[in-house]
Amino acid sequence: MNPTDTPLIRCRDVRKSYRKGETLVTPIESLHLDVPRGEFLALMGPSGSGKSTLLNLMAGIDRPTSGVIEFDGQPIQDLSRGHLAAWRARHVGYIFQLYHLVPVLTAFENVELPLLLDPMPRRERRERVEAALALVGLAHRMHHFPRELSGGEEQRVAIARAIVANPPLLVADEPTGDLDRDAADSVLGLLRALSRDHRRTIVMVTHDPRAAAVADRVLHLEKGRLLEGAR
Amino acid sequence: MGLPLQYAVRNLLRDPSRLAQTVAGSGLVVLLVMGAQSLNHGMRETLRASGSPRTVVLLGAGSEESIQRSEIADRAAGIAEASIAGIETVAGRRAVSPEIQYMTPLHAAGRLRRSGFLRGVTPAALLVHPDVALIDGRFHGPGEVIAGRLAWKRLGVRPEDLRPGSTIRFDNTDLTVSGVFAAGGTVMESEIWADLNDLRTLARRETLSCVMIRLQPGADPADAELFTRQRLDLELSAMTESAYYEQLARFYAPVRALTWLTAALIAVGAVFGGLNILYAAFASRIREIGTLQAVGFGAPALVASFIQESLLAAMMGTLFAGFAATALSDRLTLYFTTGAFTLSLTPVGAAAGLAAGLAMGLVGAIPPAIRCLVPPLPQALRAA
Repeated sequence: MNPTDTPLIRCRDVRKSYRKGETLVTPIESLHLDVPRGEFLALMGPSGSGKSTLLNLMAGIDRPTSGVIEFDGQPIQDLSRGHLAAWRARHVGYIFQLYHLVPVLTAFENVELPLLLDPMPRRERRERVEAALALVGLAHRMHHFPRELSGGEEQRVAIARAIVANPPLLVADEPTGDLDRDAADSVLGLLRALSRDHRRTIVMVTHDPRAAAVADRVLHLEKGRLLEGAR
Repeated sequence: MGLPLQYAVRNLLRDPSRLAQTVAGSGLVVLLVMGAQSLNHGMRETLRASGSPRTVVLLGAGSEESIQRSEIADRAAGIAEASIAGIETVAGRRAVSPEIQYMTPLHAAGRLRRSGFLRGVTPAALLVHPDVALIDGRFHGPGEVIAGRLAWKRLGVRPEDLRPGSTIRFDNTDLTVSGVFAAGGTVMESEIWADLNDLRTLARRETLSCVMIRLQPGADPADAELFTRQRLDLELSAMTESAYYEQLARFYAPVRALTWLTAALIAVGAVFGGLNILYAAFASRIREIGTLQAVGFGAPALVASFIQESLLAAMMGTLFAGFAATALSDRLTLYFTTGAFTLSLTPVGAAAGLAAGLAMGLVGAIPPAIRCLVPPLPQALRAA
């Protein structure tokens, strides 16, 4: 089998459950899913359907209770917390609904963060940060702090931070959920371009059908299970 | 590579009042540690410098712990001079000094009475106390005194108030200062020396406090002890001056321990205060900490950044404490029954303060840092 034929992400019989007081909550139940390389996948579903939990499992933010999650053929579900952090640094760029920029760092410094995890000459780091900010159209705002940016600009800085280390997987949790229509369109256009022009694998959770429309494939979750509806 | 230093620096400046509390708390602890070390060092060194193993003190049997309480017969000086072997002779005069040591309220420069330490002596005192040297004026005669160079501090007056020509009042008698002496950093520098007969009259005493004897090099102080055993009628006890001050140092050991205990208790309080402040500071950033973990920073990098932040605040406090200690160094004088010493910042004191600041920075950061890293990452990312 050609390595490029292997799905980037492969979930097999994945289950996630946790206790909330006396109740056992199971946001993900017996889930099977493959995400091919370069695909832009949208996950939709009502609140509590398990889509953010699934996103966190694929991004190594959380670990399944049972089942197997393979990334590029390597199982990640048993990695320790420390190893998982190092794995995320190399493999995943995360885009949050509320941007999650570090408020005391400038746009440049926020984008630079993932590059600090690898030994790299300062000049190369600078060039890569500037390139990432230029790609999201914010080269002129690199020395501004998050409080000096609009919501759309903050989200674009967050996207630059997610892509700067060139990870094989981008995950986005409601990336347009806190933006007005123009800013949302701009962010979605950017994600679409990253998928189409840069062949990035993207998994996006969204409530918004307009956002889901830019994806290659849309999957619906309900009560922790995938429904039919892929296109 | 970990988080950049500017992350820690800018986090410090997020809440100026929180920073001020942390800096003030750590600064107070460091200042206390420096103060406690300085006090202990000053008292120990003053007492250590004050005793000579060649000087024997003859004092009343049973009064070994305080010369001031001792009373011995006037004739003991002459008998001791004639009986004890190995007494030093300078310019034909035997180094035997009958003395009265007396603590009493004194007026100086018209100020309120402060307790002063008077020593009634004859000129032979200079033979027994070789560290004593006049630095201004001349030795006293009747109706006069000479003042130790730190006596002004003890009396709460200005240095010029005890210069030659000025007066001090003991009850209703004015005594003129005829000179100022140094005594090699010993307790005597805070004393006032008067004529033995004047003090005998003013203090209404018919007895001496002690007889000080300076021995020749190599002479055995045991001879003086033997003398006291042979002349039981004089009811004397003999000990070397160094042994006397060592005993005094032991007497003050609990006081010195108390200063450390006080500093330690306040330090513990400040550490808990600092912990609370850092708990609050780190807890308000749980989502941000989660984000950094999601980006790929592991617990060691985050803990290192928290420690940087805490150390920076503690070092700012240490710096302020260092400035304060330097400014106060050599300006504060503390008194104890037999003398006075000036608090000064020593290299050991500065190192102890620095160590306390570093320890506070380290100890203060780790528990809050660990607590902030405990929540599962998905939960941290959802935190408000």
